[in-house]
Amino acid sequence: MTDTHVREASTAAAPEPGAPRGRALARAALLLLRGRTLVVLVILILFFGAVSSEYLTQSNLILMTKHVAINAILAIGVTFVILTGGIDLSVGSIAGLASMVAGGLLFKGLGVPGGTVFFSAAVVIVIGIAVGALVGAVNGIVITRFKVAPFIATLGMLYVARGLAQLHSNGGTYPDLAGTPARGNTGFHFIGVDSVLGIPVAVWIMILVAIAAIVVTTRTPFGRRIFAVGGNERAAILAGIRVNRIKIAVYVISGACAALAGLLLTSELGAAYPDTATTYELNAIAAAVLGGTALSGGRGTIIGTVMGAFVIGFLSDGLVLVGVSTFWQSVVKGAVIVFAVITEQAQQRLQSGLARRTA
Amino acid sequence: MLRRTLIAVGAASVLALSACGGSSDKSDSGSTPAASKLIVIITPSPDNVFFKAEQEAADAQAKKLGYETLVLSHDDDPTKQSQEIDTAISRKAAAIILDNAGADASVAAIQRAKDAKIPTFLIDREINKTGVAVAQIVSNNAQGAGLGGTEFAKLMGNKGEYAELTGKATDTNAGVRSQGYHGVLDQYPDLKMVAQQSANWDQAEALQKTQTILQAHPNIKGIIAGNDTMALGAFAAVQAAKKNIVVVGFDGSPDVVSSILKDGIKATVLQPASKIAEMAVDQADAYVKNGKADQPEKQSIDCVLVNPDNAKSVTNFAVAGS
Repeated sequence: MTDTHVREASTAAAPEPGAPRGRALARAALLLLRGRTLVVLVILILFFGAVSSEYLTQSNLILMTKHVAINAILAIGVTFVILTGGIDLSVGSIAGLASMVAGGLLFKGLGVPGGTVFFSAAVVIVIGIAVGALVGAVNGIVITRFKVAPFIATLGMLYVARGLAQLHSNGGTYPDLAGTPARGNTGFHFIGVDSVLGIPVAVWIMILVAIAAIVVTTRTPFGRRIFAVGGNERAAILAGIRVNRIKIAVYVISGACAALAGLLLTSELGAAYPDTATTYELNAIAAAVLGGTALSGGRGTIIGTVMGAFVIGFLSDGLVLVGVSTFWQSVVKGAVIVFAVITEQAQQRLQSGLARRTA
Repeated sequence: MLRRTLIAVGAASVLALSACGGSSDKSDSGSTPAASKLIVIITPSPDNVFFKAEQEAADAQAKKLGYETLVLSHDDDPTKQSQEIDTAISRKAAAIILDNAGADASVAAIQRAKDAKIPTFLIDREINKTGVAVAQIVSNNAQGAGLGGTEFAKLMGNKGEYAELTGKATDTNAGVRSQGYHGVLDQYPDLKMVAQQSANWDQAEALQKTQTILQAHPNIKGIIAGNDTMALGAFAAVQAAKKNIVVVGFDGSPDVVSSILKDGIKATVLQPASKIAEMAVDQADAYVKNGKADQPEKQSIDCVLVNPDNAKSVTNFAVAGS
C-alpha cells in the first residue's frame, strides 16, 4: 500500500515517458479526485445509513433534500460570481432582506397615501426576488464602476443589507405570514411548505434553478463569457467581451438566487425575522468550493456546486439525526471543507502532471 | 449621472455626520459628569420580541423619569458589548442597564464601568461575580423551568418520548432552564428524552433540527424548548409534519401566547421582562439620586405559567393582575 503510494507520487513528481502502469494509476486517482464530491456523498450516505436506520427512509431523504435546496440555490448564485473570479459575501444578508420585505408586505401591507395596499403572494415573491436582484446590481456597479474589490464591496453589502433588514421592522419579527382571503394574499406557504407529486415545492424550485443555471453556463454565449472573464480577464477584454456587463449580470443572478432562498426559508417558517440566513453565505461558498469551483475563477460547474450543497446538508442533518452535539457538528463540517480543498489541490497537481506527460 | 449621485450621497453623509457630531456636542456640554442624565440600555438583538419588550420598557421608564437614553444591542457578542460599555463610559452615562452577553465574558467590561464610577444594573441574565454590578435582577429561571417542566409532564400524561431544544450553550439561562426541566421530567421513569439538540435560540435552526429529529424518532409526543423562538420553530415543523405533538416554550412572547389561544403551542413560562426592566431603571434612578443602592444586589422575580386558562390576560410580557 505504502509502496504503490510512494511510486505513484514519484512518477507524478518526475514524469517518465515510459511508465504506463504509473500513468494508469494516476489516471484512476484523477478520476476518483474529479468525482470526489460524489464519492464523499456516497460514503456519507453509506455511513449514516449504517449508523441510523432512519437515515435512508424515503421521508428523511426528501426532508434532507429540502434542507439542501435552500443552500443549493444560494450556492448556485454564488457559483456564477466565483466563476468570474469574484466573491459574494452578501448573499445571507440579501436573503434576510428579501425575507423581511416579503414578510412586511404580507403582514402589514404597503402603506400608500390613502390606505394600505396588499399584494397577492405571487406578486410578493416577485417583489422579493426583484429586491435581491437590485441589491446584486448595486454590488455589481460598485465593483465595476468604482473598482472596489468584490470581497470589500460585498462585505460592505453584508452589513448594509442586514441593517436594512433590521430597519425594516425596527428589529422585530413579522410573526404570521398566512395572509387573509379578504386581502387576497394567502398562499405564501406554497413555496416552502407544500409538495407537488410528493416532492416539496422547494426541491422542484431547486431543480429548475439548477437546470437553468447548467444550461446558461454550458450552452450559451453568456456562459462561455463568464468562464472567459474568470479565466483571464485581460484576454476577455481583448477578445471584445464587455466584462463589466458580465460582472454586473452575475451579481444580479447571485442576488436574485439569494432572495429566492430567503423566501423559501421564510415561507417554511411562516415568520420573517431580520436575522434570517445569518452566515449562510459561508455555507454557500463552502458548497461551491466543495463542488470543485476554484476561488480564482474560470473553473467550476453548477452540478458540482449542487453536489457540494448535498454533502454539507446530508452531513449536518446526519449528525443531528444520530444526536451528535452542535460543537462537533461545526468541527466536522469545517474539517470536510478543508479536506475538500486539499483534494482539489491534489487534483490540480495530478492533472497538470499528466498533461505535461502527454504533451 | 453616477458621479452626480455619488456627490449627492457624499454630501448627505457629511451632513448626517455633522448632525450627529452636533447633537453629541450638545449633550456633552449641557451636562457635567456628576449630573449626567443619560441612561445607556444594552440588550441582545431585539429580533427576539422578549429583548425588544425589555428594551422598550426600560427606555420608556427612563424617559418618564426624565433621562435621555441610548439604546444599543450587543447581538450576544461580548466584544461588541465591551465596546458599547466603552461608549457609555466615554459618554459619561449616569447608569447602564444591561442584559449581558455572557456570564463570565461580561465581568471585565462591567468592572471597567464601575471603575469609571458608572453603576451597572443587570437584567434578565446574571454574571458569575458579585460586587461588580449594583444589581442583578433576573427572573427565576429555575422556578420557571420547574413550572414549564411540570406542565409539560402533565400534558404528556407523564409518559412517552420527547425531545428537548436547548439554547446557546454559552448562555447561563440555557443551562439553568434545561436543568430545571430535567429536575422535574427525570422523576418520571416513563418519560424518555430521545433527542437533545441546541438550536442556539434561533427559529429557523429549531425548525430544521426538529424536522430531522422527527425523522429519527417518529414516535415523539412532545418537544420542550428553552425559549419561545425555538418553540415557534419547532411548532412550524410539527405543523408541516401534520403531527399532534405537545410543544412547550419559555419567555411568554406575544407570538406564542397567540399560538396558545389558537390551540397550537400548549404552554409557555412568562418572564416578567417589562417589569424587570422597569425595576432596574427605578433602582438606577434611586442610586443616581442617593448615591447608594436601595435593594440587595441579587434579586429574583418569579415566572408565571401561561396556558389556555390565562393566555387571554397576557399582554406584552405581563399577566394582568399579577
